[in-house]
Order: sequence, then structure tokens, then C-alpha cells
Amino acid sequence: MSILTIAEAAKQISAKKLSPVELAKTQLERIRRLDPELHAFLLVTEERALADAKAAEARQMSGSLRGPLDGIPIAHKDIYCTAGIRTTAHSRLLETNIPAEDAHTVKKWAEAGVVLLGKLATHEFAFGGPSFDLPWPPARNPWNIEHTTAGSSSGTGAAVAAGLILGGTGSDTGGSIRGPAALCGIAGIKPTYGLSSRRGILPLAFTLDHAGPMAWTAEDCALLLQAMAGHDPLDPASVNRTVPNFTADLGKSVKGLRIGVVRHFFETDNRASDATRKGIDAALDYFRKEGAEVRDITLSPLADYYAVGYLLMITEAFTLHGPWMRKHFHDYGELFRDRVAVAATVSGPDIVQATRRRRVLCQEMAAAMSDLDIIVSASQPGEAPKIADLPKWAEKPSFTMPFNVTGFPAISICTGFGEGGLPVSIQLAGKPFSEPMLFGAAHAYETAMPWRSERPAMAV
Amino acid sequence: MSTIDEPSLKVMLARAGLPHSPEQVRAILPGAEIVQRMVARVNAPLPREAEPALTFDVEQK
Repeated sequence: MSILTIAEAAKQISAKKLSPVELAKTQLERIRRLDPELHAFLLVTEERALADAKAAEARQMSGSLRGPLDGIPIAHKDIYCTAGIRTTAHSRLLETNIPAEDAHTVKKWAEAGVVLLGKLATHEFAFGGPSFDLPWPPARNPWNIEHTTAGSSSGTGAAVAAGLILGGTGSDTGGSIRGPAALCGIAGIKPTYGLSSRRGILPLAFTLDHAGPMAWTAEDCALLLQAMAGHDPLDPASVNRTVPNFTADLGKSVKGLRIGVVRHFFETDNRASDATRKGIDAALDYFRKEGAEVRDITLSPLADYYAVGYLLMITEAFTLHGPWMRKHFHDYGELFRDRVAVAATVSGPDIVQATRRRRVLCQEMAAAMSDLDIIVSASQPGEAPKIADLPKWAEKPSFTMPFNVTGFPAISICTGFGEGGLPVSIQLAGKPFSEPMLFGAAHAYETAMPWRSERPAMAV
Repeated sequence: MSTIDEPSLKVMLARAGLPHSPEQVRAILPGAEIVQRMVARVNAPLPREAEPALTFDVEQK
């Protein structure tokens, strides 16, 4: 069986041409064959998967399918709590943690009929990694297993790219959905802050955490987000507004879309690789040719956005983890504990200054967006580096953090491959709650380009 | 430009209640130096109206 997208599988399941049980068995066999090298899974829930698949198949046969996710094999990042199923955050501290309740999204996806294949690798507590001093190894990039997936939704990125799952959950505090999506050559969206509930997801930073989907295509992300978004009164950040149809703009022309390119982000502030910049320019040529208006814009230096986001992230993380860190410092992996311990050097006035500057940056981006539909930037500086070459400390500003700082939605999609044969990417950001338009633009680009027909060699 | 050295980092880690053996301090120092450069960046002058004000959306239900 070839690797299907969610949209393709849903169509076949609906037409009774594909058995959810056979699909689940195929995926489990792929996991058995490929995951020993990839380490994308921390736990495979085979029994649960087959039970979910049988239930979906019964609905298929009785004509009572619940929608496009019914019978679709997925897995959750292991910071999403799953009732009765171990949820570890890839950490020794939670090695035996079995939650009593599902996370909001886990519950909603289950109600949509998904088939749960298991729990996926993450950087420890969505921040510390890739680490080699944890109970499980870090996930590897299926395009070349010597290379990193980026993080922290590392297992989801690897598992989707290798076709072990058709989609999965991620979380994004500074780029943890879009980074692995970029380096694994898939699609991943950080939705608008407040659009999807974070209840039941182990937190990293209150004001920056976002929950979102990752899949092979933007279209699949739209289908997954549809079953994820919506008001949750038990998440303090959750917005109470009507959930739009996220597939509404799929197939629409991009003519007339106004695109602003923050060229200084990826040409001077943190110069991206030749392949990344060429991929972005080729994408912009496509949008221009299809009738979009494209122009360069200038924002504050990328380092300003990164400094604000990073300081808030580590201090909020220390607020959450401080009590444990004081008692169990050496039970954390080195990367998480040292990166968060640095928060001890940040003062209260520094945090107030970061918060003030955050407001200025939010206003700046909102003003820039006032006559634009999309802001374009890089998603990652280049292809995935070798996992052994990653530094413990990184000072170069990330391209993804600006949209955590502002809460604006942003999607990463593949723009081809670099000199090393690994994927490169582009990031499209929109106004708050403009996800349908972002999916529409990303889908238009993806369907016009050949990249979605290429999978990692190990996966085919 | 803000700077930080091992003795001041040791004091800060102790104040936060975190282990601060010489090895631990040395392991964290490079990250602390990066963070102090970020601190300097966010402390650059801001306009008076740059407040982290609490605001409300009247359309919010």
C-alpha cells in the first residue's frame, strides 16, 4: 500500500475502498520496520489502535462514519495526556506517569474517530533536546538518520515524513511544530493563540504555548485542525468564537492576496542557506505569477523578537519547573535543566521590559499586517544539521519565534531540497484567525509543485 | 552590554535554590552570557506608552 495523505485515505474509507483495520495494520507494520532506526515512537499502542480501527470499520460498514478523520491512523506528541496511557514528556521524571484524563485535543480527535497508534518522541518537556541522557533516544530525521528532526515535536515530524502516521499533534512555544515540519519536509501549523485548547498538554510557557497539527500536506493539517479548534472554558487562553471551515479556501485562487516578505529576517538578521532563499524566491515567483501582490516589508530585527520570546519562555518554564528542579535537578536531562536554570539570571524588571517590548512588537506586526494577508519568512535556516553537531547553546535568532510572541498563525511547508538532499521550507503567517486563507495559499503552492510526491528513501 | 561571570552566576543559582557546584556553574555560564545579551536587548529604551496594559475586546463573548 502506498503512503496516503489523510484526504486520500478519508476518500477511500468513505467509498469503502479502504479498510481502517487494514490501514492500521499497514501502519503498525511500517512502525515495526522503520521505527527501530527512527525512534519516533516512545510507545506503540497496538491493541488500542486495532480496537479503534475495528470501531471505525464498523461505522464504515454501517454508513455512520463521523467525518474525514474516522479511521485515520495518528499519534500524539508525548506531552499530550492520554487517559490510561503513559505520558512522559520524554523525561525520567514522568517515566511512569499515567494520566487519568485525555487532553482536550486527544478527546476531540478520538470523538472524530482517529486510530491511536501511540505516543511520540519530543524534546524533554518540549524544550530540552535532542538529548542522549534521557530514558529514550531522540527521534531521527527519515531523510537521513544522521540528521536532526529539529524539535520539540520531533517524533511527529519523523513519523509523518516516514509515513508511520498520517498526522499527529505538536506543540509550539518557539517553533516546535514549524521547526520539525521544516526539517522533515512536511506541513505544520501553529494556529492563532487561543484557537486550540492546551488543556491536558504538559505546559512549557503559558503565554507562548500553542497546540497544532502536523501532517504531510496543508490540506491534512486543515482537516486535523478542524477537529482540534474550538472554545474550551477550562483553558484560560481559549477564545470563544465560531470555528471556521478550515478547508473553505482549498482550491481557491491566490489572486489578489497581498504578501509581505520580511527579507531582512532571512537575508541579514540570520542568513538562511542558498537553497532556503532560492526556495522562498521560487515560491514568491509562483504566488506573483498566480496574481498575488508581493512586496518586501521591514520589521524590527529578528533578534528583538527572539530575545523577548526566549526570555519569557525560559522564565515561564522556570516558574513551572522550579519546584521540581530544586528537588530533582539531576533527574532532568542536561539540556533542559541547564537551559531553564539560566532563567535564574533574569530579573523581575527584565521580564517587565520584555513584556513591554512584546506589546510594541505585537503592535508593529499588526500594523504591518493591516494591508497584507500573508507575511513570508524562512522557517529554518537551512537543511537539518547532523544530530551530533548541534550545540548546547544557540544564539542565532529563530524565524519562528516572532509568531509565538505575537500569537499570529503561521504554517511551514516544504519548498524542495537542498544540496544535502534534505528538505528546505518557507513560513507563511497570517492575521489572527486567518487559518483558512493560510491553508488555501499553502495548498495552492503544494499542489502546483512536485515536492509532495517525494518521500524519504527509507519510507518507500 | 551586560556581562556575567562565574561568581555572580553562582549567587544567582543559589538565590533560585538550584544546585551550583563549580561544574554546574561552568556548564551554565555560556548560556547565561547569551541570555544576558538578550536582557540587554529588551532593556533598550522604550517609548513611555509601551506598557504591558491589560486590554479588553468589546466583541469578546
